[in-house]
Amino acid sequence: MKEPAERAGCLEAWLHNHADAARRSLGRRLHAPGQTLILIAVLGFILALPAYLWLLLENARELSAAVDHEPRIALYLDNTPETELQAAVERVDELQGVAGTTAQSADQALARYRAGLPDTALLDWLDDNPLPAVIEVLPLERTPEALRNLESRLRQALPEATVVSDHEWVRRLQALHRAGTRVLLVVGGLLALGVMLILAVAAASELRERNEEIAISRITGATDRFLRRPSLYTGLWIGLGGGLFSFGLLWAGVHFTRAPVESAAAAFDLPLRFATPETQLGLILIAAGLVLGWVGARIGAAVALHADSHP
Amino acid sequence: MIRLQRVTKRFAGGTEALHNVSLRVDAGALAFVTGPSGAGKSTLLRLIARLERPTRGRILVNGQDLETLPRRDVPGFRRGIGLVFQDHRLLLDRPVHANVALPLEILGFRRTEARKRVRASLDKVGLLQKENASPQTLSAGEQQRVGIARAIVHRPALLLADEPTGNLDPALSREIMELFLDFNRVGMTALIASHDLELIAALGRPMLHLENGRLEARQQPPAGKPA
Repeated sequence: MKEPAERAGCLEAWLHNHADAARRSLGRRLHAPGQTLILIAVLGFILALPAYLWLLLENARELSAAVDHEPRIALYLDNTPETELQAAVERVDELQGVAGTTAQSADQALARYRAGLPDTALLDWLDDNPLPAVIEVLPLERTPEALRNLESRLRQALPEATVVSDHEWVRRLQALHRAGTRVLLVVGGLLALGVMLILAVAAASELRERNEEIAISRITGATDRFLRRPSLYTGLWIGLGGGLFSFGLLWAGVHFTRAPVESAAAAFDLPLRFATPETQLGLILIAAGLVLGWVGARIGAAVALHADSHP
Repeated sequence: MIRLQRVTKRFAGGTEALHNVSLRVDAGALAFVTGPSGAGKSTLLRLIARLERPTRGRILVNGQDLETLPRRDVPGFRRGIGLVFQDHRLLLDRPVHANVALPLEILGFRRTEARKRVRASLDKVGLLQKENASPQTLSAGEQQRVGIARAIVHRPALLLADEPTGNLDPALSREIMELFLDFNRVGMTALIASHDLELIAALGRPMLHLENGRLEARQQPPAGKPA
């Protein structure tokens, strides 16, 4: 039937078969450009959406990191004369987890406030100084837990003080980021499953179009692996196209929304910069496209070839 | 080479295509299966190629019991067989040479070697000048010869042909049968289904006659016979 010398070596035959399948599947895709572009677009949209949300979340996380570099806790003390303030500062300095303190008496606060006003006539109407004395505490550690512990120690040491942590909103942002990441995982996962099944249906219908070729190849001794190989390459081509298209979409989306997002952040005094997606993200999108394309095609091929199996 | 032992094939609708058929075709032999349309000739060939499975009985090809042949080994088993169909079953979207090269592609032949084999096969059936033509531009006889070139290109040990001269004129039919005799002369075992009794009687080879799914002996030479 065959002479070993005339047949290619295992690796050579394998490479030749793969190159042939890749070329043939690409040819078939180029032959049906409409269908190919629709599949690429579907995959591109579905990859770009979670990637865009992820980019927003990442920028928000970087924003919290940017503002987070020196968290401070402020202790506001009403009706506290200079001497009591000094005693309070000493008590705070002794507490565990305190790196340093700066204090400002009510009088100093009023003087500073007065200096900042263009017209101080209104302040002269006041009988008493309405401003509290304030001790600003620089924490030793910045982890949310250490900050929470320090806050409760401060409340114990100075029960009369109002404790306000400027780290609080960062904590909320981090919690939101965590929740957002989880939601993104669920939404992204469901979208990925959906697009994979779309690609599976496309692969199965392509295999049905090759019905006659498959029937003849089976009779001639082709294995399922051989028969599905072109479909797997089709999945990879669609995946590659979808990954590249999604990166383009993401890039365009970021550029289109950058100005309004950054100006909205600026309105809240947040130094947000909506960063352009990096090449690394593009590579991840392409890899995700290739994986989804391949797995989708594999599922479709399994279904189609099983339905048309030899006895 | 081929042994059938009390083989019965009943299809899902209840139609019995073969009933209690036993036969033997020795290695290196060429035998014909004759009989009218619907006698079970195609079913017999499909059973031997493991394209169908018998309802009852045992089929051995080259010592291999097809009933115990694992599913994963079926493609490998089929690579040892060349099949020729009455309706040619060519891929119309590929040129002639690509159609003929299909079995070699599946077997993983080197491209240069495959090209050589394809040209040799096409030369054998007299179609070398049509290697780049589309099958659609060929006559019925030429398409049949492309199908034969495809069946023998990988030099299978066994050739099964189902009505290979079904649509051809007598001269062309004779030519095709001569091709099979040539292949047989170089050691290829062949089982050919045909209802063209006049043509095959003139070839003087063993005949197995099927009638309503039952085997009747017309000739009983040693190479192919009811067992």
